[in-house]
Amino acid sequence: MIECGREADVFEAVAFGRWPSHAAPELQAHVAGCPICRDLLAVAAAMQDDRRRLIRAAEPPTAAIVWWRATIRARAEAAHAAMRPMTMWQAVAGTCVAALTAAIAAGVWRSGIAGSAAADLVARLAISRAGSPLAGFGIEHALLVLAGVVACIVLAPIALYFALADD
Amino acid sequence: MVSALERLDAGASDAEAAFQMDESAFRIFYDRTARPVWAYLARMTGDPRLADDLLQEAYYRFLRARVAHENDAHQRNYLFRIATNLVRDLRRRPHADETSISGAADAADPRAGDVAAAAVRRVDLSRAMTRLKPRERDLLWLAYAQGSSHDEIAAALGLKTSSIKMLLFRARQRLAALLRETDR
Repeated sequence: MIECGREADVFEAVAFGRWPSHAAPELQAHVAGCPICRDLLAVAAAMQDDRRRLIRAAEPPTAAIVWWRATIRARAEAAHAAMRPMTMWQAVAGTCVAALTAAIAAGVWRSGIAGSAAADLVARLAISRAGSPLAGFGIEHALLVLAGVVACIVLAPIALYFALADD
Repeated sequence: MVSALERLDAGASDAEAAFQMDESAFRIFYDRTARPVWAYLARMTGDPRLADDLLQEAYYRFLRARVAHENDAHQRNYLFRIATNLVRDLRRRPHADETSISGAADAADPRAGDVAAAAVRRVDLSRAMTRLKPRERDLLWLAYAQGSSHDEIAAALGLKTSSIKMLLFRARQRLAALLRETDR
């Protein structure tokens, strides 16, 4: 047997502070002879006493403070959510730049001119493609492009790091 | 041009719009439920400060959850379910201290020494509770401290209503035996 028909009465007497002084003698006699109700009484009395004491001692923050903190947090989360697509696009752009520079670097390396000096390299490239749009490219411009590529190679991982660090 | 203050106000109202109730309704609900929830959290964690943090978190999650509540009892049970989940998450953390349950929450009562017998009973309960499984503690607290029905307990703990009677019976039997043991 796991239950007794008088459990609700016993619990009610404990919860409403009627046990033992204001409990019916008949109920008290029942509890004395019923192991289930005895267990219930021991547990419920201890629990109710503990709860009352904790509630008396409780000093929860006021509703206004809890509400204010909740609005601050909701606002911060909304701002964070709004920023997330922007951060994603920054990361995509950074990755594209890095991939592009890596592709250019690999192409240059494969064409067998990686060993020579940077200025000679670009100048030779410009001269060898006399008929191409690169024909009018001066060494100064070529150096600028090279500097840009190097800057991309250096800056892309840094930009990626900062773009993704927040997530 | 929109001023910074107007933007801030708009941000605040946007944030509040994400909540399931307005501030005045929240105040009423909070005043009715905060102390029992705090008591539950303090007993389950044994740490009043942690109970404060979990209380804030519980109400935040409650406000953000867009749940249609049938009545006040449903609302209250939903809050207890959130609180129960928070305690469960805390227990899953690697360094959660299971034995802290009897500690600070007992020390927080300024009137603890007023009634010697009651104080002894409290210590006994605290000790005995540490020897129960977390789920048994939840069950017993909700049933005999909160006075929740089997349906409410099942909803709060995510269990089947049909299993509550047996689980509760076993937990109660265990705690009663532990209390008798400490009495001796």
